[in-house]
Amino acid sequence: MKLKTHDRLVEHIADDLFEFANADTDNSEIAGYSNYSYWRSTVQVFLKNKTAVLFLGVIVILLLFTMIQPVLPNQKDPTFIHINPETFMQFRNVKPGTEFWFGTNAIGQDLWARIWSGTRTSLLIGFAVGLFEVVIGIIIGTLWGYVKKLDRIITEIYNVWNNIPTTVILILLTYIFRPSLSTLIFAMAITGWLSMARLVRNLVTIIRDREYNMASRCLGTPTYRILTKNMLPYLVSVIMLRVALAIPMAIGAEVFLTYIGLGLPVQIPSLGNLVNEGRVLMMSQSLRYQLFFPAIVISMITISFYVMGNAFADAADPKNHV
Amino acid sequence: MSERKKLLEVKNISVVFGSRKKAFTAVDDVSFDIYEGETFGLVGESGSGKTTIGRAIIRINAITSGEIIFEDERISGKIDKKKDKKVVQDIQMIFQDPMSSLNERAKVDYIVSEGLYNLKNYANDAERKKIVDEALLEVGLLPEFSSRFPHEFSGGQRQRIGIARSLVMQPKFIIADEPISALDVSIRAQVLNLMNRLKKDLGLTYLFIAHDLSIVRFITDRVGVIHKGRLVELAETEELYNNPLHPYTRSLLSAIPMPNPNYEKSRKVIFYDPDQHHYDIEAPKWVEIKKGHFILANQPEIDTYKTMLESNIKGE
Ligand SMILES: Nc1ncnc2c1ncn2[C@@H]1O[C@H](COP(=O)(O)OP(=O)(O)OP(=O)(O)O)[C@@H](O)[C@H]1O
Ligand SMILES: [Mg+2]
Repeated sequence: MKLKTHDRLVEHIADDLFEFANADTDNSEIAGYSNYSYWRSTVQVFLKNKTAVLFLGVIVILLLFTMIQPVLPNQKDPTFIHINPETFMQFRNVKPGTEFWFGTNAIGQDLWARIWSGTRTSLLIGFAVGLFEVVIGIIIGTLWGYVKKLDRIITEIYNVWNNIPTTVILILLTYIFRPSLSTLIFAMAITGWLSMARLVRNLVTIIRDREYNMASRCLGTPTYRILTKNMLPYLVSVIMLRVALAIPMAIGAEVFLTYIGLGLPVQIPSLGNLVNEGRVLMMSQSLRYQLFFPAIVISMITISFYVMGNAFADAADPKNHV
Repeated sequence: MSERKKLLEVKNISVVFGSRKKAFTAVDDVSFDIYEGETFGLVGESGSGKTTIGRAIIRINAITSGEIIFEDERISGKIDKKKDKKVVQDIQMIFQDPMSSLNERAKVDYIVSEGLYNLKNYANDAERKKIVDEALLEVGLLPEFSSRFPHEFSGGQRQRIGIARSLVMQPKFIIADEPISALDVSIRAQVLNLMNRLKKDLGLTYLFIAHDLSIVRFITDRVGVIHKGRLVELAETEELYNNPLHPYTRSLLSAIPMPNPNYEKSRKVIFYDPDQHHYDIEAPKWVEIKKGHFILANQPEIDTYKTMLESNIKGE
């Protein structure tokens, strides 16, 4: 029965409603044209991640604020010791209020000013160490992984260097040089690049013998261009994640170094120094705010970079591009 | 026949991987010549050393002993800069897997131009673009594709991009390492036909590496059969298919399926057992058993092969 109705239906369909779609090879090649750009897609995928964008905003605001804070009106000097004009005593451990927004510390310095000054110092440390780690780590790592002749020697250097505990190197350096901002950055940088270099090296050895690299060698492409065009673009996502983590790690390391007494001199406010001062007063409930504020800033920086780094690593992977 | 010019001579090459303790001979005393304008096939099972030979010729793998001569000049071992540049330009390679042989993070424009950037043999960017466009057209792709990334293409298109990349070098000799085995069956013929057309139009010579003999018959002029790093038989393609002598060649041929049910019914797959040779008693030599037909055999085997050849001729 059903078949018959179907046949009848077919009979009533006019032929001129249809036309043949002939296979056209030229057209099939044109179809699907897109104007794909790696970086544009990367940015697009990143911007789709709302959490990451939020934290990006946090970091941008934080960065801008630390830079403009000193020129804003009513700001105090972070190292000036405020003295009560009536009693001629220092404003010690004043609670947060209208005069001292975040209160004062044990010797009467304005915490609000100190926190932003400290954040500025710590971010500088973070970015400087991160930048050094990335540049040196990538250069050494790619050469280490790609140039077979260098493999032995760099491996030897790495093994020796890596077996000296970082703390020992840092102690030595701080004894040799006077503790200062540049000493600290230098000390953290010369130990930090090792793990970055090893990571890059491992990634490079994985992709070194892929056929497209053979093809480049058959075409006589010089090594530096194989490294920059064939290798590095594949490492972007992993490297970005590492960079994002290197910055908060350096900031954290500064806190740790200050704690064990190898950090910056107390005259230079840094998050490390602030946490250290706050830590001493932690047991007294009324003074906890002195630890509370720097801890919040450190947490914000760490979380923001971590979330952003992960989101960017995902976004930089072309598998996630639509 | 004999006046034909030898383009490439492979003389007793061996390739040994690893250090003394764990040395592994991937290619063992292999010799063959490739004449200008021909397609020379190299067949053998997986791991027999075909890729290693191809890579030794293009100098990705260093040879342990022997010599490789291209256009009457030695190209193996240390060679000077000028010759190096010439060899890079003259010898090119098409890779097996189009999915991994293109740089995913570069546009087609860069991929195809890569060799040009190295040679710097163009006057300005417009001329480079023109060469790229022509190469893309030559392999049946549109010039517009140059602004795209490899992941936007199908396997067959990617393989053609790889061919275009080697064509801009204006090579004389192309090593094609299983160029179609990673492709969908439906587009294999497309790539093979393209290779054949380019060969005619541009006067190319090919070394065509494959592991199954059915395609080799369609595309090659002469074939060498390789087993565990040693060449066991070499002849013109038709000769090899009509008079396969070495048991390994015959086992390979017996494994080819035919679209003929009557044949298939009677097809017997021959298994090759290397122990049948008794090479510990008398070592084999590489001999020309018939004009242009070479085989690896010791004296008793040569005698049996000769009688086989004679009975084959009588039988025809
Ligand atoms: N770089 C290397 N180091 C050590 N051994 C290698 C290396 N390259 C290849 N070999 C070995 O040499 C042998 C021959 O390998 P080759 O790739 O030439 O085989 P093939 O004939 O091309 O095989 P297939 O058909 O699978 O491509 C294999 O046993 C392989 O494991
Ligand atoms: Mg192979």
